[in-house]
Amino acid sequence: MPETVSATASVAPWSGPDPGRRRRTTWPQWGLWLMALAAAAGAVATTVANEGLNGLETPNGLKFLVGLAFAGSGLYAWGRRPDNRLGPLMAAVGCLYLLAQILVQAHAAALFTAGVWLSDAWVVVFVAFLLAFPDGRVTERFDLVVIGMFALMAFPLELAWLLFWTTGGSPENTLAAWPNDTVAGNIDSAQRALVVVASVVLAIALARRWALASPPLRRALVPILVGAVAILLGSVLVALDKFQIEFPTARWAVFAAYVAIPLVVLGGILRSRLARSTVGDLFVELRADPSPAELRDALARTLRDPSLSLAYWLPQFRSWSDLDGRPVEMPTDGGGRATTMVDRQGEHVAALIHDPALADEPELLDAVSAAAGIAIENGRLHVELRARLEELRGSRSRIIEAGQKERQRLERNLHDGAQQRLIALSLELSLLEQELGPDADAGLRLSQARREIATSLGELREVARGLHPAVVTGHGLAVALEQLTARAPVPVRLTVAIDERLPEQVEVAAYYLVSESLVNTAKHARATSVSVDVSRTNDQAVVEVVDDGIGGADTEHGTGLRGLADRVEALGGRLRVWSPSGGGTRVRAEIPCAS
Amino acid sequence: MRVVIAEDSVLLREGLTQLLGTNGLEVVGSCATADDLLLKVRSYSPDVVIVDIRLPPTHNDEGLRAALEIRAHHPDVGVLVLSQYVEVGLAMKLLADSAEGAGYLLKDRISDVEEFIAAVERVATGGSAIDPIIVSTLLTRQREDDPLAALTRREREVLELMAEGRSNQGIADKLVLSLRAVEKYVSSIFGKLGLPSSGRDSRRVLAVLLYLRS
Repeated sequence: MPETVSATASVAPWSGPDPGRRRRTTWPQWGLWLMALAAAAGAVATTVANEGLNGLETPNGLKFLVGLAFAGSGLYAWGRRPDNRLGPLMAAVGCLYLLAQILVQAHAAALFTAGVWLSDAWVVVFVAFLLAFPDGRVTERFDLVVIGMFALMAFPLELAWLLFWTTGGSPENTLAAWPNDTVAGNIDSAQRALVVVASVVLAIALARRWALASPPLRRALVPILVGAVAILLGSVLVALDKFQIEFPTARWAVFAAYVAIPLVVLGGILRSRLARSTVGDLFVELRADPSPAELRDALARTLRDPSLSLAYWLPQFRSWSDLDGRPVEMPTDGGGRATTMVDRQGEHVAALIHDPALADEPELLDAVSAAAGIAIENGRLHVELRARLEELRGSRSRIIEAGQKERQRLERNLHDGAQQRLIALSLELSLLEQELGPDADAGLRLSQARREIATSLGELREVARGLHPAVVTGHGLAVALEQLTARAPVPVRLTVAIDERLPEQVEVAAYYLVSESLVNTAKHARATSVSVDVSRTNDQAVVEVVDDGIGGADTEHGTGLRGLADRVEALGGRLRVWSPSGGGTRVRAEIPCAS
Repeated sequence: MRVVIAEDSVLLREGLTQLLGTNGLEVVGSCATADDLLLKVRSYSPDVVIVDIRLPPTHNDEGLRAALEIRAHHPDVGVLVLSQYVEVGLAMKLLADSAEGAGYLLKDRISDVEEFIAAVERVATGGSAIDPIIVSTLLTRQREDDPLAALTRREREVLELMAEGRSNQGIADKLVLSLRAVEKYVSSIFGKLGLPSSGRDSRRVLAVLLYLRS
């Protein structure tokens, strides 16, 4: 699960630790849902009961929608973001609103009184909601003062008012201890004045907060602007109400605003869920093994954030780097960027650096970072695999080269050592023979000895050639192949289409290939002719040996082709054998050699 | 006859010097590198040079390259290349377009004193000396058609010795035949192979080798 760390911590968007809990809606939340629905139903019922269906055509009659909107959105948000208190706050606003509405319609006096007292409770919670937006925390003392002002109006002052106010009918205010219309009226005026002042202060505070936010965050803070407007308008209406001035349009506007706020919040959360479906497209795109740049583009498209950048974690250096391997600084607080970690198996793999407003949509970030994690791991595995293969090829090549160097050394030793000495020895015997003159017996024995030495020399020559074909290193492939093919037991058509020398390893491999293939042909193929072609295409040396024998060559057993294939492959080349039964044999090696 | 030797093995250098000395040839210079050899050839103008195909520093083909250079710039100096391995291709490289004053022998041959001295003298006087193994490799090469089918066994023997660079007299001595018999065989061979009969021994060496190689 990604953990989103915002760079603007003071106005951290919807987030919280361990969002894994948010998927499950708990029993208390279900209970509140039911209550809210029941309350809304009840409100509708009581309105209809008291005023008939016409009652539903005024803002007053439709008030229950506000309560329902807040309760519903709040509960939904609480379910999806369990650690953000905005959800419960909104739900509380809605529930208190509906509760008060029902109680006020009751006939029982006690309930009615309670309803009246609670009738402004929702405002306090609503103000707290606006000030806590969007991370659900109220931290500044100034905010607490504002809330306090509204609380003062809603609770103590209301209670005081209730002590003096009477309805003059049924149901009756049970708290009316000292009925006094004047005092009640004054307290009421004080309340309204306080509301107006507090509303203005609140509106200014909210507007200021919005204006100070970075552009990406302002999008997320739109609800508080609407809230500020609603509060201001509402307070103006409250004031005018005192003077019995009616503004139906204004009332509808306030009503609309109050319904809109929770719906806007709800919309934000739903949009995040909808956006998650585009992640399906992302997976299809990522299937094609994208390059790091393509990956970044695909992620940016899905997140609808063109400013997205990817940073990769390098465990061996313990640092972050960008697509090109250059070091990257993680965004710090207040930098206007947010970071979402991409983890695989509990380890950091990469980080998405994006617009902080995106943290509003944790489901989307979740899904996208999971997709990114898979793609990155895939890409990394590919890179690792290629690196390992390169390493293996390198070490294999080194081993073969070491072996060859050793054999070359041995061949040199033979040539400069035993072979030279035997020749010198033979020469010495000849000179001795000459000195001895025509003495038949000794001369014969010396001749015999020289013949033995000659045989040894012949054998040593074969050994040396088997160790390393010095003629290849010394004089090139063309020269070496001429001797080789001339000695073949089958007519050979040799074509060497290369004028310049090839790298030593390549020439030696080609030599052994032809040598081995000719041996196979002689041993197994029963051919009447063989062709040997050496050519060069682009950056590859191509060696082909084709015979017209019985085919059926087994590449695994007894043909030495496996060893040849190893040698060719260690040079980065490829060996192929076609040997259909009865159809001759073709051995072809392609070995890369840069010019 | 004045000889310069280029050989990096001290043993063989000494041995060769002694061998040539006791057989009437004068070793006017001996060295161990190709550069040294070229220097000595310029200084002493020998009749023939005996050079190991494999010389320092890389021990690849310094000797051969020096031989080719001497052939190019000092055409009157015979070059006899000694090698521990037999390579048809190398012999052909050395001969290029003329077998005159050129020789390629397996190093082992030096212990066959008579033959070796004869070969050195041949090369010094503008003839050729090609190692028998080279010739037999070419002769016994498997071919789809056998161009030598028309030759008799005796003629093949004569052909072989011809290809080694021997003179008619040399062939006669080797096969214990009369000179006239050899001459007859030679013209018969040339006729059967369709080769133009040529004057100098070295010319026919090249002709035969090229013929056998194709």
